[in-house]
Amino acid sequence: MEIIIEEIGRNKKLLARHKFLTNKVTLGRGYNNSVILSDPHICPEHLSIEFDGENWLVKDNNSINGSFLAESKQNADQHIIHSGDIIRLGKSFIRIILPNHPVESTVPFSFFEGLIDFLRKPLIIAFNIAFFTLIAGLMFYLNQPSDVNFTQVIVRAIGITLMFATWPVMIALISHFNKHEARIVTQLAVSFAFFNLMWFSDVFESIVAFNLSANWSLDNLIALVPIALAFLMIWLNCYIGFHMSKRKRTIIALSITTVLFGGGYMIQLSKQPDFSVLPNYDATIMNPVFKFAPSSSVDEFIEDTNRLFEKTAKEAQKNKE
Amino acid sequence: MKVVISLLLLLLSSFSHSAEQAEQIFNQLAPSLYQIRLIDKASGEKSSIGSGFQITADGLIATNYHVVSGFARYPHKYQLEYLDNQGNKAELTLESVDIINDLALVKRATTTKMPYFTIAQKPPIKGEEIYSLGNPHDLGMIVVPGTYNGLKIESFSDRIHFTGAVNPGMSGGPVVNAQAEVVGINVATSGNQIGFLVPHQKLVDLFTSYQQSPPQSIEKQMHEQLLANQQALISAILAEPWQQKPLGNAVIPDFNVPFIRCWGESNADRSDALVLLVVTSCALEEDTYIDNSFSTDVVEMEFRYMKSKKLNALKFYNIYQQQLYRVGPDNQAGKDDVTEFQCHHDLVTNSAKNTDSKAIFCTRAYKKFPQLYDVLYLSASVDKNDQALISHFTLAGVTQASAAAFTKQFMEAVSWK
Repeated sequence: MEIIIEEIGRNKKLLARHKFLTNKVTLGRGYNNSVILSDPHICPEHLSIEFDGENWLVKDNNSINGSFLAESKQNADQHIIHSGDIIRLGKSFIRIILPNHPVESTVPFSFFEGLIDFLRKPLIIAFNIAFFTLIAGLMFYLNQPSDVNFTQVIVRAIGITLMFATWPVMIALISHFNKHEARIVTQLAVSFAFFNLMWFSDVFESIVAFNLSANWSLDNLIALVPIALAFLMIWLNCYIGFHMSKRKRTIIALSITTVLFGGGYMIQLSKQPDFSVLPNYDATIMNPVFKFAPSSSVDEFIEDTNRLFEKTAKEAQKNKE
Repeated sequence: MKVVISLLLLLLSSFSHSAEQAEQIFNQLAPSLYQIRLIDKASGEKSSIGSGFQITADGLIATNYHVVSGFARYPHKYQLEYLDNQGNKAELTLESVDIINDLALVKRATTTKMPYFTIAQKPPIKGEEIYSLGNPHDLGMIVVPGTYNGLKIESFSDRIHFTGAVNPGMSGGPVVNAQAEVVGINVATSGNQIGFLVPHQKLVDLFTSYQQSPPQSIEKQMHEQLLANQQALISAILAEPWQQKPLGNAVIPDFNVPFIRCWGESNADRSDALVLLVVTSCALEEDTYIDNSFSTDVVEMEFRYMKSKKLNALKFYNIYQQQLYRVGPDNQAGKDDVTEFQCHHDLVTNSAKNTDSKAIFCTRAYKKFPQLYDVLYLSASVDKNDQALISHFTLAGVTQASAAAFTKQFMEAVSWK
């Protein structure tokens, strides 16, 4: 009869898998066993599993530390095997699978597979990283109030790029330590593509803020764009780096996004004084090329300010009561 | 030689004459002079001091509003007390205030008719010797001779320019002429030998209205005075048509009123600057003191012209935008006095359609004085690639109508040439 023995970790992760076509399988530390285990708490001839013509039976060979069913204290000796049973020997676990054990349905390649394949192309990766570096340098140059030379810009741009590269590298390392494929190039490809999208969302946000008046404020809505992008990126990072269910991946990506943005928001909130003397206004200005919206007249502007007086008067009244 | 000696003698005699007169005036008036003390009830110690002088036989004493402001605003926290020249102390009641001219009337209890200061009928003449009385730094009552130099023209509320040392603690003390009649009240100093006094007429007005009908509540009286003053101030600024003056390639308003003064600065000397920056700022010289953490009646404006020397538009606008952060109000106010600012912003073009700007307007309301607001305006031109014009003003303690009228005139007065 066929039987499959899986060595698994404490977290049920598969470490090794053996398949036998026999009626007796022996497990132990000795080299004469069918499955040789190196756990020092396991006896040289610890356990055997035998087929009696109908069922597979577990037989413990008077081992010092015993054999138990999964995490329980129930002795595994003379236990009739059902496919998927887990047996604990010493500090190790094995799972016994019979050939007719059902398997999960095939996962079809998703849309993301195509996207990842596209982003992974060497030319695309090179372009994305180069583009990111270029924008980082440009931003540094634009925000510097004094003159800067080319070397300063290059050094800063490369520095920023390396700093951002730590994110995909870190994820690749984590998946490597979790016995998954590191796929560092894929992680880099996807992360930098999203970093670039975030530059664009920044510019887009500025253009919208500049062109819309306070009457048509979309600030809060627009602020969701980078959050959505970050979520998507982390989701893809998980998709590439770890095999996990869709639901679990979504939860993990959501949690990381929440911690990143929510944490930042909380820090900002905690720094905000109880009462601010300074006004909080939108001072976004852009050069005439980016101006699309028509201007209001002076009278319209003054008309619009009326609501501020009503609002603050109401607030003053409320405070008085 | 004879002439010199006689001149010297004359000079000497006039000196001794003046000193004699000062002493005489002081001795004669001392019983009607007081130190006014604000006692913090919790600690039982004085938290601020000033001077005051009796103006009626039944115990009415005049002083500065700012000496008693703590009590006027927080009557539960403080107690008003006087100290007379005999060293007697007793409680005072607050009767009436003129917050704009920084005057207050307080009253002591008395059973007998007491000596008091008479108030002059007419103002002194320029150059006339006058004598300031008061208790500087809690050192005891002194007399400071000085000269009347007329009214300060760069001031919206009338102030006498007095050449003589007015020191902290002398606030609220009287200034008398040689006939011992009150011609002014000590109010402020501006460094060595330059003092400012409230003209006696303001005290006469306050006293007269007090006699006719004493105010029902000090807070209400202050509110009415603030409302009336902002009305007078803003209409005075808007009444005269504004002239135009150039600032770089732009034109900005030139105010036709003496009490708004302007100053200028630029970085034209800096050859390494990427952007030429020219700044003009104009402001009302004085504000109105409400208490030590709250002031109002501020009018302040600032204009910045920027021209890019060799930058592309992207970088120029990035540097330009950094000039627009952290603009704040110019008057002091705290959480108990005002709400937080609420702001509106929009792209705006003026009537001449030659200037496109991003305009920001913020306002906050006064909590204790309804209908009064602080207003902050900031505008940045967005229609030229290599030039920028920032115009900004703040108004403190104005009504919505005053704010709207001022804002409209201001916005139309700033444009490109």
